[in-house]
Amino acid sequence: MEERTRAYLRGRFGDYYRRAELSPPPEANEREWGYIPWTSGPGETMVRHKSMLDIGAIEEFLARERPRHVYFSAGRYDDPSANSMSKKTWRSSDLVFDLDADHLPSVTLGEDSYAEMLRKCKGALKRLLDFLEDDFAFEDLTVVFSGGRGYHVHVRDEGIQTLDRDARREIVDYVRGIGLDPDGIVRTEMRGNVTARVLSTEGGWGRRVHRRLLEFVSDVESMAEDDALERLQELDGIGEGRATTIYGAIQKNRDAFEAGNVEAGGVGVRTLVDSLVTEVVTDENAPIDEPVTTDTNRLIRLPGSLHGGSGLAVRRIPRDELDDFDPLVDAVPETFTSHDITVELDEETTVELLGDSFTLEAGVVSVPEYVGVFLMARGQAEKGQE
Amino acid sequence: MKPLHARYPFMAGAREAVQEASVDLAEVVATDEDVVERALERVEWALTDGTVGDTRRQTRVELLSYPVARVIVSTVDEHICTRKYAQAEAASAHERFVEELETETELRSTRQQHLSLDALLAEFDLGTAVRETGDGFRVTVGTYLELAADQWGDEWRLVNRSLVDGEVPVDREELYVLLKQAIRHRVVDGLPLSVPDVIAENLDEEVERVRETLSNMDLTTEIDTVVPDLFPPCMKHLLDQVQKGEHLAHHSRFAIAAFLTNIGMTTDEIVQLFEVNPGFGEEMTRYQVDHIRGDTSPTQYSAPACATMQSYGDCVNKDDICEDEINESHPMSYYEHRVEEADDDELTDWREGAGEDGDDDSDESPD
Ligand code: SF4
Repeated sequence: MEERTRAYLRGRFGDYYRRAELSPPPEANEREWGYIPWTSGPGETMVRHKSMLDIGAIEEFLARERPRHVYFSAGRYDDPSANSMSKKTWRSSDLVFDLDADHLPSVTLGEDSYAEMLRKCKGALKRLLDFLEDDFAFEDLTVVFSGGRGYHVHVRDEGIQTLDRDARREIVDYVRGIGLDPDGIVRTEMRGNVTARVLSTEGGWGRRVHRRLLEFVSDVESMAEDDALERLQELDGIGEGRATTIYGAIQKNRDAFEAGNVEAGGVGVRTLVDSLVTEVVTDENAPIDEPVTTDTNRLIRLPGSLHGGSGLAVRRIPRDELDDFDPLVDAVPETFTSHDITVELDEETTVELLGDSFTLEAGVVSVPEYVGVFLMARGQAEKGQE
Repeated sequence: MKPLHARYPFMAGAREAVQEASVDLAEVVATDEDVVERALERVEWALTDGTVGDTRRQTRVELLSYPVARVIVSTVDEHICTRKYAQAEAASAHERFVEELETETELRSTRQQHLSLDALLAEFDLGTAVRETGDGFRVTVGTYLELAADQWGDEWRLVNRSLVDGEVPVDREELYVLLKQAIRHRVVDGLPLSVPDVIAENLDEEVERVRETLSNMDLTTEIDTVVPDLFPPCMKHLLDQVQKGEHLAHHSRFAIAAFLTNIGMTTDEIVQLFEVNPGFGEEMTRYQVDHIRGDTSPTQYSAPACATMQSYGDCVNKDDICEDEINESHPMSYYEHRVEEADDDELTDWREGAGEDGDDDSDESPD
């Protein structure tokens, strides 16, 4: 990035911050703050171990310093500006989740457009929220568009504040379905004086697998016998014999399936459950970035700030507006929407922002400022002469 | 001082009773041989037997031996001693309270004050976190994780639990195990205490005895040789990546750093071994390794088991030893196995020949 581009972006970030109303996170004064300035040279150097005392009121600080990226810590400390973690003395930490398009198995890097990546990421976000709101019943959730390739969720419920790293790893493994043991979600129950193996249907992954099992059963029921047998044999470990037994069990005793009784139908049904487990985990897990959640000292982007790699705003998204939220519209800072600027492009490119698609030739072009800022921040363009 | 307190000396009520009786610990240590003897027994049994031994008849001796035992453990100040001691206190208490809670009410003597499950839950502030249901109990997920996260066994993993509405169903036996864990945390809390000289002086002999017991114990499981040639294939691979300067995913970095810590390397040594890799950055490496070592956070992390390594794709080049000898259980077991099998002269510690310097100052930037 050339000096004039950097100077321009820094100046315009300053204009944004002068107008922006930022609400800092709760207990902002107990947190560590850090930022990356617009400096030249390779490698971004973070200025960290700052406290509110060091930087003063956050809005004034941002308008004055105009940083490229701003972060605050998930952790709260006795002394947030001490420059080693042990001297800070940790008190508690929010539970933070990071969904990044780069880490989604469904995203094909280099092929999916930015918009497509973000769409897939939102799907993963919904699956994550399903776990957090339903299974965990967390109440204090903040959903944030990261300004880059994904979403963050900050959980601030009382009950998770002092969990250590191992405990947080358990939460990660839960939402990712890591270590799920098909035998672990099946209980052995006494039915009269015989034991029966029963899928836990009331909660956890057991409930998810059970839901899938019932859908499968309904599918099979609605098919003609031949098709049903064929469908069953598509599953791992199920041949003609087992398919027939399972089919019989479904016809005869649907209630048993409803109750999660996997004894009915014998070995075949167990095999069926095992293969559904794999399927359910693949489809329903939330592929969050593990280290972000387990690190109780993690620094996270400040909602309301600008992402220096895109020029988009890091936005808090009210829960009831999530469905309609479109990052490529709603995260475009208003400050950058009033006029056109000139930029120099290395290569031709396409940008989708504010509902429009811009196909731009290489060379000097005039574009709406938000498009120019986006391209310059991403390193695809330099500032042109006006 | 009540017999109940003697049976459960870690309870807040027990501590209060000691305070109310205005017992001077320095004087007890100097003059009351019975108490000191029983205190020493608590610690010695903890190391050798995993329990704190049989209770003494006299309430006073039994009750006061607990704070004195904590003083001994604090003066010895060895990680393994503190850990084993807390485990033993918790194990003995567990045995006692299970027996007490499971004894039919009619059979209890009426003169003695008894422990109820409610009282025990209240003691650990679990009154609201745990509720009884028709078929067991429900524990709020935060509390469950605090008490179950370092429990061995897949059945304790949250992923295998019927988590619903923020609660984890557990049966009675499991609840007792969680309570045992709460007791362990209570015992560890505050250890090591800072011990005034006047008290320490009178415990020299006891502390010496414990040190001796410790050094005679067979701690072969605590390996402290660093022989990269004998590392399991997964760790060899990770180390190789590190040294080539490849960027490692966080879980991989964690795995290798935790493994090296577990085999006894210090932060400095790990930083030195890692420094070839610019991706690590000295400050970051130091910080992460410290974190794993438990210097900056309360827990010490153990290297991931094979199952975890496999789920993160870190199990690379697994060989016959993985499959036939250690049953794909734990990279540490692999290493222990190799070290045991090796001839002594094969065991040249990496640290004896180490010594190149790396230089770099990059830092990891967060998203
Ligand atoms: S089986 Fe275990 S020890 Fe062997 S390579 Fe895999 S993770 Fe490592």
